[in-house]
Amino acid sequence: MPEIVPPAPRGKDGRAPDVLRPGGWVPMRQYQDIDEVDFAIVGTGAGGGTLAARLAEAGFSVIGFDAGPWFRPLEEFASDELEQTKLYWTDNRIVAGDNPIELGHNNSGKAVGGSTVHFAMVALRFRPEWFKARTRLGYGADWPVSWQEMWRYYDEVEDALKIAGPVRFPWGPPRRRYPYRPHEVNAAGLVLARGAEKLGIKWCPTPLATVSAPRGLSPPCVYRGFCVIGCSTNAKQSALVVWIPRALAAGAEIRDLAMVGRIELGPNGLVTGVHYHREGEWRFQRAKNVVVAGYAIETPRLLLNSACPQFPDGLANSNGLVGKYFMVQSNDAVWGAMDEEIRWYKGPPSLALTEHWNYTDTGKDFFGGYAYMSQGPLPIEFARTLASARGLWGHTLREAMSNYIHMAGLKICGEVLPREENRVELADATDQYGLRIARVVFGYCDNDNRLRRHAVRFMRDALAAAGARDIWESESTAHLNGSCRMGDGPATSVVNPDGRSWDIPNLWVCDGSLFPTVGGVNPSLTIQALACRIADRIKVMAARGELQRPATPPVRTAARAAEWSKL
Amino acid sequence: MARRWFNASPSPCGLGLRSRPRLGGGGQRAGLPTSHPAARSPKLPPPKEGKVSHRTTARRLNKSSALLALSVLTDSSIEHYRGMFSNRAMVLPIIASALTLGISLHGAHDPTPRAHGLRHTVAVGAAVTGLIGGGFHAYNVTKREGRLSWHNLFYGAPLGAPFALILAGTMAVAAEHVRDARDGRTSLFGQPAGPMLAALTAAGLAGTIAEAALLHFRGAFQDRFMYLPVTIPPIAAGLIAKAALEQTPRWPRLTRFWLRLTATLGFAGAGFHVYGVSRNMGGWHNWSQNLLAGPPIPAPPSFTALALAGLAALDLLGPSRHD
Amino acid sequence: MTERNRFPGYSTLAKRDTPSWNAQTRAVVDKRLNDPPPRRFFTQEEWSVLVAVCARIIPQSTQRDRNVPMAPFIDQKMAENRGDGFQHAGLPGMQQEWRRGLTAIDAEARLRFGAAFIDLPAGRQDEVLHMVQQGDVRAPAWADLPARQFFKGRLLIDIVTMYYAHPQAWDEIGFGGPASPRGYVRMGFNRYDPWEAVEHA
Repeated sequence: MPEIVPPAPRGKDGRAPDVLRPGGWVPMRQYQDIDEVDFAIVGTGAGGGTLAARLAEAGFSVIGFDAGPWFRPLEEFASDELEQTKLYWTDNRIVAGDNPIELGHNNSGKAVGGSTVHFAMVALRFRPEWFKARTRLGYGADWPVSWQEMWRYYDEVEDALKIAGPVRFPWGPPRRRYPYRPHEVNAAGLVLARGAEKLGIKWCPTPLATVSAPRGLSPPCVYRGFCVIGCSTNAKQSALVVWIPRALAAGAEIRDLAMVGRIELGPNGLVTGVHYHREGEWRFQRAKNVVVAGYAIETPRLLLNSACPQFPDGLANSNGLVGKYFMVQSNDAVWGAMDEEIRWYKGPPSLALTEHWNYTDTGKDFFGGYAYMSQGPLPIEFARTLASARGLWGHTLREAMSNYIHMAGLKICGEVLPREENRVELADATDQYGLRIARVVFGYCDNDNRLRRHAVRFMRDALAAAGARDIWESESTAHLNGSCRMGDGPATSVVNPDGRSWDIPNLWVCDGSLFPTVGGVNPSLTIQALACRIADRIKVMAARGELQRPATPPVRTAARAAEWSKL
Repeated sequence: MARRWFNASPSPCGLGLRSRPRLGGGGQRAGLPTSHPAARSPKLPPPKEGKVSHRTTARRLNKSSALLALSVLTDSSIEHYRGMFSNRAMVLPIIASALTLGISLHGAHDPTPRAHGLRHTVAVGAAVTGLIGGGFHAYNVTKREGRLSWHNLFYGAPLGAPFALILAGTMAVAAEHVRDARDGRTSLFGQPAGPMLAALTAAGLAGTIAEAALLHFRGAFQDRFMYLPVTIPPIAAGLIAKAALEQTPRWPRLTRFWLRLTATLGFAGAGFHVYGVSRNMGGWHNWSQNLLAGPPIPAPPSFTALALAGLAALDLLGPSRHD
Repeated sequence: MTERNRFPGYSTLAKRDTPSWNAQTRAVVDKRLNDPPPRRFFTQEEWSVLVAVCARIIPQSTQRDRNVPMAPFIDQKMAENRGDGFQHAGLPGMQQEWRRGLTAIDAEARLRFGAAFIDLPAGRQDEVLHMVQQGDVRAPAWADLPARQFFKGRLLIDIVTMYYAHPQAWDEIGFGGPASPRGYVRMGFNRYDPWEAVEHA
């Protein structure tokens, strides 16, 4: 029986795994380290994987690096929670602040395909007004892109992933029909539906990035329910199954088990390439541009760890904003026991949702919004929730767990405000590569807490209206955003609307770190849409010869930074 | 005994696409009960020039209803098993379709030009069961969360399925009425048999097309061939509906062609569905999931059954052809 | 205490050779069941306390062959230093937390009840654990290790994880178990597939 997690990289020797065929391979173009490729992308998830595909298809030479392994889902994903922790970023990070967040299975993947290998596939668009949250709704910050432009990219991404969504989506402006039809809502989702109908709000089957009908070599979802620990059916349209194969077909190289530890800055103020650790040694890949797409903890960490004399506080950090304005989303939940058998372990965990509180601006004592979704946690996940939320152990815990097939739950994806004090910084401790690890400092503000209280009250009512008893609550967070945010100017952001850093014109960011606000929906669709937009912008800039020429003069001095902070 | 009814005879122009059982094996000697062996004499007057006999048409309708009943029997068994027979009434369509299958096979082998009382009763019972089933299914769809919604149309009890049972019963009833041509004229439900049968065929096709369209829409037409049941049968339905409105059909050859094409499509569809089941995760090895979750193999032959009924209607409407 | 079985006759392991299990799942679960890891990380004393704590957090029947082992897998996690991916600032990290926590639990038992933790009757052991859970601890061995945080975020989490990673625990709660390539067909209220658990109320 071959080892389940490969110790040696698979993306080499001119070939890459074809994850859609057991044991299959596809040819892969390979570059040498001394080749100055157009783009070196750090991270191959929702941001990096998408960008790698689109840039390669546009004719650029691209290498995508990922610290994680190149999994073969068909052969290597077991139906076992403990085994599948191999999908997560379990290297250590420090958590601190008033509300230290949990990391790992809820937000951090380590694999080619990034966190999309383990995500819950919820594919939702931002409410249009959120792109101008400050101007239109009076909180947070405005995005430097318009919703109309994003709408086009949402169309593209939904089609690329063949999102399975309801024929009519109840909220937002008119939109193209989802490419595939919705999945059958399981009993857990129908509990949400019942509660919503009793309370008079709309609900719908959740738009999901897993196919409800065959798609190429992907069979339709079999409703096995192990989605967040890895889809062994390959129905899940993760970056591993969608964007990476496209990138390979267009001539990109993907290097798995390649941890980028440092970005090198040249004497002319431009980055020259990345130092990466692979097969036991450090190597250096030259590149004309470097894109950091490691999600909102590893991206600022890499920039900070790449500090050099010209940028003593980290690359692209002359204004000190790298790592700042870090956001998660609140994941408060209510749980209750139903008379009926629910058996929520069947099907994707969130088959029904309501975005009522994302699109309603009255009846709220907080800014922002939240969606809530039905739940379907597997045994270990649920036992942990039960134990930590209710403090149960002993016979009471086993008793409570033995009611597993009658449980139903509702959980929010709740907006958190961008605040400078929430941040990702470097701790003193180092990892196995000798690199300083990240410390994530997070705390909720009053607004965040008012939102959570409102949500829990409402969900309790909804769950009770659906017939649940013995309702209790839990809290947690999900998703990582905002720590290298984009904006209109260098005083208030790290990168410009195209993800290009203000300080270094050939250093880019393309992942959830870009978000100026986080909204009340799961971020993956928006991250991929941004990546498609950035790819198009890069094409335009390349055609105009603007890629090598700095858009704004590079800033290297502390004095300049002080100037900007006064703006 | 079956062989006597199905001996093929050469057609007048020698190009028979299918061998039709000639009346060489049926008929009744005047004065003898049908059960009397001597009554099954081959020496009957030949049919009128160019006209197919009502008994042949009736047997064709029996075959149609047999095929529909088989489809309903298999489909409702699987689907109601999937529904865990949560309502005891869910055994009814299985019983009704099994009985309909039985009487239809019986009728298909029966040359007697008389309606058969028991067959007729079973057929009516099947149609009524289908109607009741339609009510149950409509209730099932609308009582769920979301009421009448696309999601519930996709995943709730299918309205097209009881419709197929109604059709099976109706065709079996039609078979009895058409068979019983004592004074040389046939009527069906108060109307001349030809146009009425053509109209029923058109309606039946329309309902089946709608069901296939709904479920192929649910499947996002992910395979190009899924467009076939919403392109070919509608043309056949249109043509047979047109024939129903005309005294004598203006385009009998064209109509026959499209009906035959539809009939072929029914069997091809079953083949496609077999492929579809194999395309799901685990293929046939995972049959315990994929036979229930995959595309329904017994459904497409409903098109074949209805095409047969349409061809029977054309026989009644005008001069027969063997082209 | 007799354990009521809501799903008599149900066994996820019995589906091992059906389409519900695939080769990789069989390999992983077989290894877990047939090849529990040896003690490598904890000292013998720490190990004894750990085993006793596990037995209170997840009390099981005294029939040895039916017990789900948890301690060996916690030991393995510590030995391989395979963390969950985060560490609270101010806490020493999971390996140290367990070592110091187990020592402190034993110290607490000796301080409060005059005997080693493993020598206390079950009721007293539970009392000690409740004290730790509340943070109501007096033994100096706790020092700067916050008892409440250790209990809630480390002890309880690791132990319940290892229990519910075992097929016996899956059977007990009526979980469908491994499901690949075969998933599920019946998704509605009170609906279950023939290969799922049947509940006897």
